[in-house]
Amino acid sequence: MGKINKKKINDFFINNGVIIVMFVLVIYTGFTSDNFFTTNNLMNILMNISARLVIALGIAGCVITAGCDLSAGRMIGFGGCIAGTLLQKMDYSNKFFPDMEPLNPLLVMLIVMVICALFGSITGFFIAYLSVPPFIATLAMMEIVYGISMIYTKATPLGGYVKAYTDIGSGKFLGINYLIWIAIIVAAITWFIFNMTRHGKYMYAIGGNMQAAEVAGVPVKLTLILIYMKAAAMYGLAGFMLGAKSGGASVALGYGYEMEAIAACTIGGVSVTGGRGRVSSAVIGVTVFELLKVALQYLGVDANAQYIAIGIVIFVAISLDIRKYIARK
Amino acid sequence: MEGNFLEIAGIPLLMFAVLVFYGVKVLIKKDISALRGKDKPPVKDEAMYAKKAGTLILFLAFAALVMAFLLFVNVYAALGMFIAATLLMGILWRRMEDKYGG
Repeated sequence: MGKINKKKINDFFINNGVIIVMFVLVIYTGFTSDNFFTTNNLMNILMNISARLVIALGIAGCVITAGCDLSAGRMIGFGGCIAGTLLQKMDYSNKFFPDMEPLNPLLVMLIVMVICALFGSITGFFIAYLSVPPFIATLAMMEIVYGISMIYTKATPLGGYVKAYTDIGSGKFLGINYLIWIAIIVAAITWFIFNMTRHGKYMYAIGGNMQAAEVAGVPVKLTLILIYMKAAAMYGLAGFMLGAKSGGASVALGYGYEMEAIAACTIGGVSVTGGRGRVSSAVIGVTVFELLKVALQYLGVDANAQYIAIGIVIFVAISLDIRKYIARK
Repeated sequence: MEGNFLEIAGIPLLMFAVLVFYGVKVLIKKDISALRGKDKPPVKDEAMYAKKAGTLILFLAFAALVMAFLLFVNVYAALGMFIAATLLMGILWRRMEDKYGG
């Protein structure tokens, strides 16, 4: 009995070790810094989390099927640029489409999501029908989307957005920023898709064992296309959100976000070997990851040293995940 | 100049480096586990599969390198070339899977 309990405790610490260490670091930072545990700081952290959570929820679907999506960062940049060009003020001197009235921000959000989803479905087609490994297909799509963004924006930074758009980044409803509400709605929809729909069950079945899923009658190819399409729509939405928050965009928007999102998913418990992961895993992962970054800033850690610390966390989290997979085998 | 070069060609060059690493790994070590995933059946001819897959990955890496330089000459040509290379790689990958895959 004692042996079983000891094993359970050991497993708990191994499975949640990274989260526990980061939690201790955050508590330590909170008690040693004056402004860490303040409402303003909490709201800032939540606003930073919101766009990253949307990205992580998109990537989580791909990771659950034992895939990945390296095109996320460029899709975010592309989405942000499309939104930017359609939502500039009429009197802005460098207006991208000088004669075009700015559109409704909600319509633009949908346009951005649909365009990105189209690219996601092409990635899904390469993976599902041409059997190209996900990391190669998404790397290629990253490059293509980058090229299209360069052509579309002529590599010029965008700004001068209409107030209705920037209000999405700064306005509040019930005291909570709109961006946070968007993230909550996306998380709720994703939870519903993952847990309550046939598509969600197919997704876990493919991640658990693709061959077995195919034999069991799961439409593997169609499901994979839908997963990458849905993920790309989320990256587009994240680009739209980041543009609203910063009041500008360029092709470099979202650079490296895909790696952070994959790392956050892994830290939270989405297995890179597929078949395991929940919406809460992405929420926990992104929150812990963002808290770590803020805590390091508060502790006065050098900006370059922060990259090293984050790299170590990713390395340890993925190593522990692989260890769990080997232990299960 | 150096900063501007990396700003424009940084992503294609990064992709080139990643693909060369994987391509060479597959060609020399015949390690196809990263390409096949955990549940796919064993391939019919591992040596040929590794050779073809490695070559295709290096082909895409070369396309990324060419794109990095073409971006400074003509962005449309760079994008067109890379889309064509990706399509070709995808079709050839499917053929390779049919011929040597499990």
